[in-house]
Amino acid sequence: MNKALEANQIQGKQAVHAVGMTVLLVSFAMLFATLLLGYIVFRLTTDTWPPQGLARIPLTLPTISTLIIGVSSVFFMNFEKAFMTNQLGKMRAFFGLTMGLGLGFMLVQLELWNSMKEMGLWVSGGAYPSLFYSLTWIHAAHIVMALVSLLFLVPRLFEGYDMDRITWVQNVGKFWHFLGLVWFVMYIVMFVY
Amino acid sequence: MAFFEQHIHSEPKTFLSKYIFSYDHKVIGKQFLWYGILFLGIGGIMALMIRWTLAFPGQAFPIIGNFLFPETGGVVPPDTYAMLFTMHGTIMIFYAITPILIGAFGNFLIPLQIGARDMVFPLLNMLSFWLAFVSGVILLASLFTPLGAAAGGWTSYPTLSTLIGSPGAGQTLWTLALFILGISSTMGAVNYITTIIVLRAPGMGYFDMPLSVWGLGLTAILNAIFLPVLGAGLLLLIFDRVFGTTFFLAGAAATSGTGDPILFQHVFWIFGHPEVYILILPAWGIVSDLLSFFARKPAFGAKATALAMTSITILSTVVYGHHMYTTQMSPLLTQSFMTLTMTISIPSAIFFANWLGTIWKGSIKFPTPMIFSLGVVFVFGLGGLTGLYLATVTTDLYLHDTYFVVGHFHYTMAASVLLGGYAAVYFWMPKMFGKMLNETLGHIHFWLTFLGLNGVFMGMMIVGYAGMHRRIYNPFVYEFLERLIPMNTFVTYSALLMGVAQFFFVINFVYTIFFKKEKASDNPWEVGTLEWTIPSPAPVYNFKEIPVVKCGPHEFGNPNLTGDRDFQYQTEELV
Repeated sequence: MNKALEANQIQGKQAVHAVGMTVLLVSFAMLFATLLLGYIVFRLTTDTWPPQGLARIPLTLPTISTLIIGVSSVFFMNFEKAFMTNQLGKMRAFFGLTMGLGLGFMLVQLELWNSMKEMGLWVSGGAYPSLFYSLTWIHAAHIVMALVSLLFLVPRLFEGYDMDRITWVQNVGKFWHFLGLVWFVMYIVMFVY
Repeated sequence: MAFFEQHIHSEPKTFLSKYIFSYDHKVIGKQFLWYGILFLGIGGIMALMIRWTLAFPGQAFPIIGNFLFPETGGVVPPDTYAMLFTMHGTIMIFYAITPILIGAFGNFLIPLQIGARDMVFPLLNMLSFWLAFVSGVILLASLFTPLGAAAGGWTSYPTLSTLIGSPGAGQTLWTLALFILGISSTMGAVNYITTIIVLRAPGMGYFDMPLSVWGLGLTAILNAIFLPVLGAGLLLLIFDRVFGTTFFLAGAAATSGTGDPILFQHVFWIFGHPEVYILILPAWGIVSDLLSFFARKPAFGAKATALAMTSITILSTVVYGHHMYTTQMSPLLTQSFMTLTMTISIPSAIFFANWLGTIWKGSIKFPTPMIFSLGVVFVFGLGGLTGLYLATVTTDLYLHDTYFVVGHFHYTMAASVLLGGYAAVYFWMPKMFGKMLNETLGHIHFWLTFLGLNGVFMGMMIVGYAGMHRRIYNPFVYEFLERLIPMNTFVTYSALLMGVAQFFFVINFVYTIFFKKEKASDNPWEVGTLEWTIPSPAPVYNFKEIPVVKCGPHEFGNPNLTGDRDFQYQTEELV
């Protein structure tokens, strides 16, 4: 295959995956949008927030989560750059950092759930804790999915750049950034506001 | 325009790779077809049990009653009745219509009609079917749980669907099954949309696509956007049932906190109203094509039909409140929803007029697919018109939750889609299996079904207008409904007729696929869309050479035709 044709094929494939991934992310966005809609409805129809004399959840842990996930996105971008230029060392470093921060995010979330329990917020304690647990659970479940999909990129750390795998790297990246964005919206809507 | 050229598939060799875990969109389509027909049978028998109970309360269901309900001597018990109408609705909507129209024909038609060798993501396609399979197994398994399957209606409103309304694993499994099916359909939708965007044959603009593809594509868009909304609602319902959250529990039902049962209704109908169009759009598209094919005329205003379907798709997302007029919405909201809902009748009227315009002065032939399509025109007209009474707040307050609603949505969603689905099966049979279904049996099938379904759904509207509530086990304990027994008996006999009619189809279908020797020709209906340019049944790779499209899908009787036929293949140039 000559170079021009090859470039054409790659471009075509990337366009295809861009379309597919866009549709998929719209679907995921609708899932989280609905959940946040539920949250907002409860929030706006409740006279005092938090209801039933419950305490607000302190901002510390969610803020740490937000920072972690934001930085991990930056690391993934660097990984993608290193992949395109086939720099194995950089790829490994940035992949490790992304993965590490992803796991770190999960640890902070676990700590968040623990701290909520210590505050006396239990899952079955009414709509307020229900919302915080369920929405963070569902987001965390997607983070786990994203971490698993990161594992599919591990062979790249040894074999380096491969044009057939560009779309893999890009798709995983889009999903990762998307979850970061969703978390940021959740952080603002649920914890800050 | 194709973004890239797909490679030619190698022919699968083993039984497993050919028939079970196939990547081929045509095989996956057939898998969905069998899956849908199986569930259509199960849902149909459930419908007959419901009807039997309404016409002959307290009498044993014939033949299989004693086997199913030994403790009551064959009579359908009240709690089972609730389970039956819940599962009937769920099965018909999500496990029969969706797989047949969207799963089977979506898969089969999209690549063939746009000149592609397969879906753009074949693996995703296979996963989509097998997830649907898992979901079906879970749903059927729920029938065998100690307290029976879900019984909160197909809408599963809380608090009926929470642990207070329905304890036991049945409702949880129902919710889980639907969630998984949602994932499966979303996967399908991603695949359909991407395929339509990137794999159209060179020369094929969006308006050169057959209207079937338009219908299926718009359905896929709605699926991709709104199934996750239902998914979110179902997740929260599962959390309520399994983890003890209290989203949908309020008042005395909740030990603490302030959940909101109405929230589920909002979420359900934000999804649920588009779902109505998810089901009907493929049938509209298919019928729009078939009417033109058999009237031997170009589809009248094909572009307008496509755009009307598109505007309905958009409008369908902002009208969901008309399902909830009785939930104490503010009058400002109900009136807005009423106005928006009424707006849908404009594009509907446009494409309906286009259908009539298509057959007007055509040299109409009446093979089975065409009479089924004409049947759709009739029943959809009726269903659409009766919708106006339900869209209007004042009349809906009276008709809400009566059999009038049941009659209306069966005319639109069940009758139209069923007839549309059959039209598609009869029409694409030669391309799917390489053989033609028997025409005589097909005509008998149509007329019996058509008479039966009109008896059923017209009868339902009459009893509903008289005030009969849906979902009552034995309505005749109420004095004012006693006089409706004869009408209900008539409806039940019509339903039995409709049930019997399906045997003609099953016999025809099974005989043709497994025993009939005579092969169909490549283009038995003499139409010009891309799937008819290749041999019957379609080969594994669909198109040896990717076709180049030079004209529209319905060029009949065009003075610029180049051959001596009255139609032209899409690969041929007009003068």
